[in-house]
Amino acid sequence: MGNRAEEDYNFVFKVVLIGESGVGKTNLLSRFTRNEFSHDSRTTIGVEFSTRTVMLGTAAIKAQIWDTAGLERYRAITSAYYRGAVGALLVFDLTKHQTYAVVERWLKELYDHAEATIVVMLVGNKSDLSQSREVPTEEARMFAENNGLLFLETSALDSTNVELAFETVLKEIFAKVSKQRQNNARTNAVTLGSGPAGQELGPGEKRACCISL
Amino acid sequence: MVVQAKKRELKEAQRRKKQLEERCRLEESIGNAVLTWNNEILPNWETMWCSRKVRDLWWQGIPPSVRGKVWSLAIGNELNITHELFDICLARAKERWRSFSTGGSEAETEDAGFSAADREASLELIKLDISRTFPSLCIFQQGGPYHDMLHSVLGAYTCYRPDVGYVQGMSFIAAVLILNLDTADAFIAFSNLLNKPCQMAFFRVDHGLMLTYFAAFEVFFEENLPKLFAHFKKNNLTPDIYLIDWIFTLYSKSLPLDLACRVWDVFCRDGEEFLFRTALGLLRLFQDVLTRMDFIHVAQFLTRLPEDLPAEEFFASIASIQMQSRNKKWAQVLTALQKDSREMEKGSPSLRH
Repeated sequence: MGNRAEEDYNFVFKVVLIGESGVGKTNLLSRFTRNEFSHDSRTTIGVEFSTRTVMLGTAAIKAQIWDTAGLERYRAITSAYYRGAVGALLVFDLTKHQTYAVVERWLKELYDHAEATIVVMLVGNKSDLSQSREVPTEEARMFAENNGLLFLETSALDSTNVELAFETVLKEIFAKVSKQRQNNARTNAVTLGSGPAGQELGPGEKRACCISL
Repeated sequence: MVVQAKKRELKEAQRRKKQLEERCRLEESIGNAVLTWNNEILPNWETMWCSRKVRDLWWQGIPPSVRGKVWSLAIGNELNITHELFDICLARAKERWRSFSTGGSEAETEDAGFSAADREASLELIKLDISRTFPSLCIFQQGGPYHDMLHSVLGAYTCYRPDVGYVQGMSFIAAVLILNLDTADAFIAFSNLLNKPCQMAFFRVDHGLMLTYFAAFEVFFEENLPKLFAHFKKNNLTPDIYLIDWIFTLYSKSLPLDLACRVWDVFCRDGEEFLFRTALGLLRLFQDVLTRMDFIHVAQFLTRLPEDLPAEEFFASIASIQMQSRNKKWAQVLTALQKDSREMEKGSPSLRH
């Protein structure tokens, strides 16, 4: 399955894509993992998956992305998919205010089910349709700031900021993981003299490990 | 070299001839099947539909020209929906679309409990989803020949069952029906189909009941494919990851349309258990590759099945799945699990979810 490079990685990060139906989650994902955009993509029912491996410094990070259905009624099911996620892109459509107005509800849902330290980015998608914008950039940015979220505006159609959005989230997660590992090493150094080999994952090690923060 | 080339040519010609013969045979058998369905089975539906002979013919796939009729008869009309009722529901739906587009939504408050905003969201969602239903066929999208029909069936349903409303997945089911039936008959089949216990559980997103269905599925999964079952368990591949899409859309989104219709054929004959049997048939068909994959590859594979699924192998694989577990049939296993979960609920309500 896949090519060799795709299978060589040091970390696996689970990232979920959430937000209202029709905001462009599936297209953001296909733009990031396959550089494709489809004007007539099919409705997502339940969950779909994609992966892409990116290099951060010397570490290969495999992003395992869960693209969830946006329908409100499905939330009872989809929230189970948040478990174990270390990153999330909470997407709204900047040309439809309604999809932004419910962002707080999505956040609550996410924090209820995902890891407490999950890295979340608020993403205003469809920036190519700026003439029909209904959500001012500053308003969304303020909201993100006040809630400790990262923020970007993207266009899956013309690719603007799509790479940057995913990579920023992955970097932030990686930074947290690295910090945590350092802390663990320090604690271990004090209490045990040396860290237990099983928990340490050196950058050179070709071993998969699903990290939870 | 010339001899070799001649040989190859001859071989190729033979292959083509064989292919043509095969094709003729297939067309002839479809032609014969149409005659049998039209002249023998359909006029004597009540007495014949459960006979061995009809069941066998049914398994081969219903010819497209009689498919809609057979589906309608098999699904039935327990709800006694008439064409007039469809017209009434559709007229109400149209009235709503008009009032929403002119912004007069405040005036209407007849359905207590279902706010205007909810209904509007539902209508918006229908519009959005229609454009995302079988996009590659280009017939349901705005301006396409079946766009209005799909819109009508879904809109009428939200007026007929405001308590259920529109749920994603419905557009695929309605679309498949529309491909085989007139609008009003499609609506009747659609409403009755969604009224079946399994479909109601899923479309109302009754989480507890859905989990019971998954649990029943796993009983038969373990029974039929113990090795793969263990592999899935080890990798945390829970049924919700792949079954939700398959069950909600009755495979119409995940399988090529001709195969999906054949699954629907037997689903109409055998009921909900065939949906789960189909799932096991798929898992069995790809058992070897799946056992070698890790979590993410299995998840990706099952949520995006190969497009060139071999029809005969697929149905042979389904046929070899036994829907009996320790002498218990699907319905018995499901009922027993339902009873268990009800008792657990009574004992410790907090354990649920």
